[in-house]
Amino acid sequence: MQPDKFYYDNKIVRNFAIATIVWGIIGMTVGLLVATQLFSPSMNLGNQFTSYGRIRPLHTNAVIFAFVGNAIFMGVYYSLQRLVKARMYSDVLSKIHFWGWQLIIVSAVITLPLGLTSSHEYAELEWPIDIAITLIWVVFGINMFGAIIKRRERHLYVAIWFYIATFVTIAVLHIVNSFQLPISAFKSYYLYAGVQDALVQWWYGHNAVAFFLTTPYLGMMYYFLPKMANRPIYSYRLSILHFWALIFIYIWAGPHHLLYTSLPDWAQSLGVAFSIMLIAPSWGGMINGLLTLRGAWDKVRDDVTLKFMVVALTAYGMATFEGPLLSLKGVNAIGHFTDWIVAHVHVGALGWNGFLTFGVLYWLIPRIYRTELYSKKLAGFHFWIGTLGILFYAIPLYWAGFTQGLMWKEFTQDGLLKYPNFLETVLRILPMYVMRSIGGTMYLIGVIAMAYNLIKTMKAGKLVSNEAAEALPLVKLGKDEPKEFWHRRLERKPMTLLVLSLIVILIGGMVEMVPTFFISSNVPTIASVKPYSPLELHGRDLYIREGCVNCHSQTVRPFRSETERYGDYSKAGEFVYDHPFLWGSKRTGPDLHREGGKYSNAWHYNHMMDPRTMSPGSIMPAYDWLMDQKLDTTTTGAKIRAMQTLGVPYPIGYAAIANRDVDEQSKAIAANLAIDKIKVSSDKEIIAIIAYLQRLGTDIKNK
Amino acid sequence: MFKQFINDLNGNEVYMLFSLLIFFVFFIVATVVLIRMKKTHVSYMSSIPLNTEFEDLN
Repeated sequence: MQPDKFYYDNKIVRNFAIATIVWGIIGMTVGLLVATQLFSPSMNLGNQFTSYGRIRPLHTNAVIFAFVGNAIFMGVYYSLQRLVKARMYSDVLSKIHFWGWQLIIVSAVITLPLGLTSSHEYAELEWPIDIAITLIWVVFGINMFGAIIKRRERHLYVAIWFYIATFVTIAVLHIVNSFQLPISAFKSYYLYAGVQDALVQWWYGHNAVAFFLTTPYLGMMYYFLPKMANRPIYSYRLSILHFWALIFIYIWAGPHHLLYTSLPDWAQSLGVAFSIMLIAPSWGGMINGLLTLRGAWDKVRDDVTLKFMVVALTAYGMATFEGPLLSLKGVNAIGHFTDWIVAHVHVGALGWNGFLTFGVLYWLIPRIYRTELYSKKLAGFHFWIGTLGILFYAIPLYWAGFTQGLMWKEFTQDGLLKYPNFLETVLRILPMYVMRSIGGTMYLIGVIAMAYNLIKTMKAGKLVSNEAAEALPLVKLGKDEPKEFWHRRLERKPMTLLVLSLIVILIGGMVEMVPTFFISSNVPTIASVKPYSPLELHGRDLYIREGCVNCHSQTVRPFRSETERYGDYSKAGEFVYDHPFLWGSKRTGPDLHREGGKYSNAWHYNHMMDPRTMSPGSIMPAYDWLMDQKLDTTTTGAKIRAMQTLGVPYPIGYAAIANRDVDEQSKAIAANLAIDKIKVSSDKEIIAIIAYLQRLGTDIKNK
Repeated sequence: MFKQFINDLNGNEVYMLFSLLIFFVFFIVATVVLIRMKKTHVSYMSSIPLNTEFEDLN
């Protein structure tokens, strides 16, 4: 039989590689900016478009979906073609995929600083962009499966299984977490409320880490590490176990982000139990990777790509040990809401995702350009400054996390909080924030050095856009073929593999979500909890626009240290009208769930105008534009109607007259401010946000 | 301490036991499947990434 002659598409790989580098530098630079804002509020640059609450999501979206996203597509497009011995299904689809993805990123860069956000963490982009993501993801899927179907290699290597699981799970996660009711071109409300919304969000959030930051990278690890070391993976059997165990167990672990909240206890217990189980497949993968280098450690000394891979795998092992540790309730009680979580995330992001990406880039660019790497010395410099950068980043934040978590919980001998002023616990850790930004700077310098090194490499060589290859075509199997073991049969059936992966990942999500949604005893209602007034609803939307949820939680955990500091612990029934929930995941500032009535309207006004006049030393940005900007009341009717559609019991016909109540309540607040010599027009945004803050937690407040 | 732990479970122990059961069943089934795999097939599959000789020309 004559072999087929065909060409691999290297141009699309090169394009995604360049996008990875460019967006990586941009995303990390924004990250550095938000890091400096945490110890120097002037770095908010005095305008609303660069304030922390708006650009912190820009940083997370840029590094996750732009840097890591493009790196995934680079790795998949390179490895998949070679593993299936076929060109991608369609060059046109490859181009649509590439440019579509970049346009989505650009739209995020524009909309997030404008405050157009859904507030769901790592899913902040508003509904039109969500639709665009869905379409481009489908294009990617068609292109990938098209290539798999026309393959010349009968069996699918384990890396491809990880790619298939990534594709199908991200599709499910994205769609379920994007059910929103639009009220305008860039504003929508989630269909879910309160506890249910929280469960969906953290089912999504946790599994975005699993299936966007982990499974595609494991696929890349299973392809590129054997290539770099020029030896097969340590144990193919272990890789099979790793795959099925990982995708099955990961999906259950989301509730560990909601421990001690009003999420039903049974869901929290499931989240904890499966998080602990996750150590087994995660470490199985790490060990499989590291043992691939057995007998080849001498290569690691000389080969910078392997150095990056070893640190990446080590960081993966550390992060996946720490994740289950943090999901233990006793540890979570101290670590949650602190910088420990930020450190944990960055060990994974900088170490696992970043270093694996760099290793692949250093290996891949010289190959598709048919040249040598411009400077091995510079790559070595990148490795060391990057590694030190991770240490300088993570260690101070671990320190900050332990320190603050323990300070929040410390009581005096008289039974009073030792640090009743939250700000005192923030000021204590500011030096750690400075050190963290030094670590981030070092890491970024390394990336810039890599960009220079790779540009010089590209200039020295010439891109082989279409790389010649040949392979024997697949012969159709006859019916008289010997009977195969069932898993072996599965390895040559991509659609069956897809369906089976889908079933495996749906089990955990359904077991946790269906009872929470359909058994009313899981979310007991409270008669005194009423819907927000229209002005409070506007204020809530401003709270979302300004990204307050990035620094302030709205859920008081049932600890004495929290009920003493904030007030009564939060109940599920208090959130039934919260579309979306705003519990947050980090307390850079104090929890606000019982904020209503704690301070006067004048205090809030002055605090928002300049936080340091009310709380000397505060690191909160000023929100002075709220005093100048007029509240948009043209959307009041649409917001009330949307809430009614979602089941919020406003009276029939209320949408038409809601602005009357907006007017009445805002005039009352303006009049109250006037008593304290604050002259402000009642139609300004600050009035709405004060109304919202004063309402928070007051439905059942008892002290 | 153990008594306290049981009291605190508040009727949720069924979920812990259910999780543990899934964990064991899953890994036992997977172990059996993996043991039954043929060595030649495992060796073939693990060498697939190394069979693409073209990119290693330089």
